[in-house]
Amino acid sequence: MEYIKNTDYPYIINKYHDTAKPFDSFKRFIRRDEIFSAQTGMAGEDILAGILREDEANRQLPHPVRKAMAFAYVLRNTRISCDSRDRFPAINMIDRPLNATIIAKWKKEVFDEIIPEVEEKRRHLEQAGIVTIWPDYDHSVPVWSRIFDLGFAGLLAESERARSGRTLTADEAAFFEGIRITYEAILDLIGRLAALAAETVGAERMAAALRHIQHDPPATFYEALLVDYLYFILSEHIEGLQVRSLSNFDRLFFSFYQHDLQSGVPEEEIRTDLAYFFLQFTAIGNYWNQPVCLGGCKANGDTEINALSYLFLDVYDRMGIYNPKVQIKLADSTPKEFTMKALDMIRRGNNSIVFVCDSTIRRALVREGATEEEARLCDVKGCYEYNVQGSFGCGMNYLNLLKPLEYALHEGCDGVTGQFAGLKSPVPANYASFADFYAEYKKQLCHIIDETIEIVNGFEDHLAYINPQSMLSATYPSCIEKAKDALSGGAVYNRSSIMIGFLADLADSMAMIKKYVYDRRELTLTELVSILDCNFTGSEQLRRRLLADRDKYGNNKATPDEIAVDIVRFTSGYINGRPNAGTRGGAWACGYHVARMSYTQGGKTAASPNGRLRGEELSKNCSASMGQNREGATAAILSVTKIDATAFTGDACLDLGLLPSAVKGDDGLEAMYGLLVTFARRGGHAMHINVFDAETLRDAQKYPEKYQDLQIRVCGWNVLWNNISRAEQDGFIRQAESLR
Amino acid sequence: MKARIFEIKRFAVHDGDGIRTTVFFKGCPLNCVWCHNPEGIAFKPQTAYYAHKCIGCGECAGACPTQAYQIADSIHRFDAARCIGCGKCAEVCPNDALIFYGREVTVEELLPLLLEDKDFYANSGGGVTLSGGECLMQADFCAELLKRLKENGIHTAVDTCGFVPQESLDRVMPYTHIFLYDIKAINEAVHLACTGQSNRRILENIRYLNQNDCKIEVRIPYVPGYNDSEMAPAAEFLSGLRNVTKVRILPYHNYARSKYEALHMPDRLPKTLPSDEEIQAAESAVARR
Repeated sequence: MEYIKNTDYPYIINKYHDTAKPFDSFKRFIRRDEIFSAQTGMAGEDILAGILREDEANRQLPHPVRKAMAFAYVLRNTRISCDSRDRFPAINMIDRPLNATIIAKWKKEVFDEIIPEVEEKRRHLEQAGIVTIWPDYDHSVPVWSRIFDLGFAGLLAESERARSGRTLTADEAAFFEGIRITYEAILDLIGRLAALAAETVGAERMAAALRHIQHDPPATFYEALLVDYLYFILSEHIEGLQVRSLSNFDRLFFSFYQHDLQSGVPEEEIRTDLAYFFLQFTAIGNYWNQPVCLGGCKANGDTEINALSYLFLDVYDRMGIYNPKVQIKLADSTPKEFTMKALDMIRRGNNSIVFVCDSTIRRALVREGATEEEARLCDVKGCYEYNVQGSFGCGMNYLNLLKPLEYALHEGCDGVTGQFAGLKSPVPANYASFADFYAEYKKQLCHIIDETIEIVNGFEDHLAYINPQSMLSATYPSCIEKAKDALSGGAVYNRSSIMIGFLADLADSMAMIKKYVYDRRELTLTELVSILDCNFTGSEQLRRRLLADRDKYGNNKATPDEIAVDIVRFTSGYINGRPNAGTRGGAWACGYHVARMSYTQGGKTAASPNGRLRGEELSKNCSASMGQNREGATAAILSVTKIDATAFTGDACLDLGLLPSAVKGDDGLEAMYGLLVTFARRGGHAMHINVFDAETLRDAQKYPEKYQDLQIRVCGWNVLWNNISRAEQDGFIRQAESLR
Repeated sequence: MKARIFEIKRFAVHDGDGIRTTVFFKGCPLNCVWCHNPEGIAFKPQTAYYAHKCIGCGECAGACPTQAYQIADSIHRFDAARCIGCGKCAEVCPNDALIFYGREVTVEELLPLLLEDKDFYANSGGGVTLSGGECLMQADFCAELLKRLKENGIHTAVDTCGFVPQESLDRVMPYTHIFLYDIKAINEAVHLACTGQSNRRILENIRYLNQNDCKIEVRIPYVPGYNDSEMAPAAEFLSGLRNVTKVRILPYHNYARSKYEALHMPDRLPKTLPSDEEIQAAESAVARR
C-alpha cells in the first residue's frame, strides 16, 4: 500500500483484528490480549472482572464519578504497545469495557426497574417493525478546536478552574469530579505510552510527541493526529461514546500543516503520517466507518478547501481505502477542481465520499434556532448528519411510514399480525373520498409519533444516569459553564430525532390508491385491502400494472411528489420543536434516514398498494422505491429537491445510482458535477453516488473472489460487496437494473 | 404539426456537451450495418417484444384491434403481418415486454418535457439534442422545436447523418448551436457498402455547414472490418473544415443485438468489437487532422 512500508502494513492491519480469522464486520470491538506484552498490564478478562469488583466498593458514589473511576481503572491496567512499525500506539481494551459492565448494569436497572413499561412498549414497536428505537445514544462530536487549542491537560485545567471558586450542588461536584478523574487518567495513560515508546527502539519520535501532548496542546501535524486518534479511541472504544467525526479536518489541521512546512518538514513526511493515521481506522474496521469532514466556508464565504484538502484526498485515493469515510461540505465557493477530483474518485469506485450541501444545512440549523455563525461551523457527523458544535443529538428512532397505512386500511390493525395498534379507523368502505382516507392516515401517523416520543422521552430522562459523559462534556464550553453533562442539558442544543423512512413507498402507495380506487374506480378500497392481505396472490396482473404505472415518486411526477412533499411538511410540522425529555431540555426534530431498516422493517411490512410484496425491501432514504426511478438521475433530483430538506434537521440523503457508461470520460465527469451542483442549488441536503451496472453486480454475486475490493455505499456507510447479505445484494442488482 | 419519435432520453451525457435531453426521431435514410438504434431506421411505427419480460398475461391480445396476438398457455404468439403499429398493446403491457416505437408528438407536448431539466443544462453547459434515426427527415418540426427551445434559452444540438436535402439544414441552422455530424467513410464504395447510400451529399453538406460558420462536432463510428481504413482519410478531409471543433471516435458495440430480435428485424451486426488499442490509434489518427 502506498506510503505504508511493507513491513508495517501487516502489523497495523492486524493490530485490532486478526485478519487471518474470518472477518465479521458486525463483530465490532476485538481485544487481542495475545499480541500485547503481559508486562504492560492485565489480561482483558481480569480487567472486566476488576471493573465490577472496584465499582462495588464505589456504590455510594454518583454515576459520573463511578464511571470515571472505572475508566481510570481500565486505562491504568490495560495492556499497551508502541511499535517501531507503527506511528500510533496500541491499546488493548478497545472492546467497550464500560458498556459491557457498568453501563450495561445501569441500563438494565433503568429499563427493568425504573421504566419497565416503557421498555415493553419499545420492544413491541421494534418487533412489529413499526418503530425501531435504539437506546444507544452516541453520535457525538467533541469540540475539536478546543481539544487542539488546549490539549488534554488544558481541558482538565479549564474544568478545574471552573470548579474552583463556586458553590457546587452534589450533582455539579460529581460532574467536575468525573472530568478530573477521567482526564487525569488520560494524562497518566499518555505518560505510560510515552515511557513505553521511549524504551522501544524505533519509536523515539512517538515517545517525544506523546511526552509533549501529555502536558501541552499539540504543536505539530503529527502531534495533532495523535491527539485526534487518542481522543477517538479512548472515547469510542473505552469510555463508550462514539466519536462521529475526526473533525473538519482541513480547517482544523491546516495550521499544523503550515507549521510543519515552515519548520522544514518535507511534505512527504506529512503525507506518510496521514496515511498511518488513516490506516488505523481501516484496521479498526467498524462497519459504520469512521467519518471525517472536509470543506465548508469561511465567515466571508470563501472556501475552507486548502492545500491540505487536496493532499488529504490524494493520500486517501492512493491508499485505495474506504474507512475512514469522507464527507465534503459542498458550498458555492468550493473549487470545482476539488469537487471534480472527489467525483473522479467516486466513479473509479472509491465511493466512500459523500457530499453535504453547505447552504442547505446552514438554513436548516438557523431554522432550528442556531445563529448564522454556529450554522457555518457546524459539524458534519456520522453518515451525513449535522449539528451545531457542542450540541448533542440523539436520533436512532426509525419510524416506518407504511405502518400507519396498514392501520388506516385495517381499522387500526397491523397488516401482518392483525394486532390492534391503539387507534380505531373506519372500515375501508366508509371512506368517502381519497381526502378522507388520507386524513385518516395522518391521524394514525400522529398516533405512532406520539407513542414514539413518549417512549423515547421516557428513557432519555435517564441518559446521563446510564452513561454520563465526562470526556465529551469537558470539550463543550457550555457544559463546563453550566456544570452539566452533555447528555442532560449541558450541550447548547439537545436534539432528539425521529427518522422517518420509506417516503417513496408511501407516496407511491397513496398515488396508486388515489388513481385506481378513487379516480378511476377500477376497484374498491375493500377489494384492494383483501388483495393486499393475500399478498397479491391471484392478482399478479394488477400488481404488475401497479408496478409498471409511472406515477411514482422520484420521477418528477406531480401526484406522488406532491404527496411526498405534503407528508414531509405535515410530519416535520408535527415533530419539530416539540420538547424532548425534561432532563435534556431540548427539542424534537424530524430526520429522513433509514440505515438498514429497508430490510429489517421491510421484512415486517405487509404488501403495499404500489405493488410491493409482503416482506420485500422498502425504499432507501430519499430515493425512489426499488426499481422505480424510471426517468433517470435528473428526474430523481427534481423530485427529491421538491422536498424541503431544511425541515429535516439532521439528514435527507439521496442515494444516486449511476451507470459506468454514463460517467466515463470528461463528459461523464462534467455530467456528475452538473448533477451534484444542480442538486445543491435546488436545496438538496446530501448526495451519495454509487457507480455500478447490474451485469457487474451479478457477476460479483456469482464470483465473490473476483470482487474482493468492490465497495457499495449502503445508506450512509461503505461496505465491501462481499460483506452484505444476499438480500441486500439482490436489492442493489434490482436498483442497477432500473438505471438508464 | 406532429413528429414521430421513438424515445426521449434524459441525462444524456454523450450527445453533446453537458447534461442533455435527447429526442430520438423515427426514420433514417441510411441503413448502416452496425446500427445500434434499429428502431430508428423505419419511419413506420413498430412494436418491439422483449420475450424475457413477458409474463403471458394476455393483456396485449385483449387490446389489439387486429388480433395480431394469441396467448395460449401463457405462450405469447405474435403475427407481424396483422400488426398495424397502433401501439395499443404496449400501452396495456404491464411489464414493459412490449415497447411501442413511433409515438406522435407535438411541439407543445415536447417542450415542457424538455424544459424539465433546464437547471441541469444550465449547471453543466448542456441542453437538448435532436437525434434519431435522422431527425432532419422531419426538418420542419425540428426547426419549430429548436426555435422554441432557443427562445427558452436552451442550448441546442442536432445529431445528423448528413444524408438530407440542403434545405433541411437551412431550416434548422438559425436555431442550432452545434451540429453533431456523423462521418462514416470518405471512400464512396466503403460508404455504400456500409450504409447502402453514397456519401457525396453527406460530404457536400458538411462543407456547406462549415461555409455557413456552423459549429460542428464530427463523430466517426469505428467498426472493425468495415470502416477501419477510413480514419486517416477522414482526418485529411476534415482538416479543411475550420468549424469542426471536435472529432470523436465512437467505438462500435453490439449492445443493440437484443433490440433486433425484439423488433423481428434481421440482425446484421458485425461480430468483431474494436480493441482499446484500435480505438486509441483511431483517435490519434483523427487528432492529427
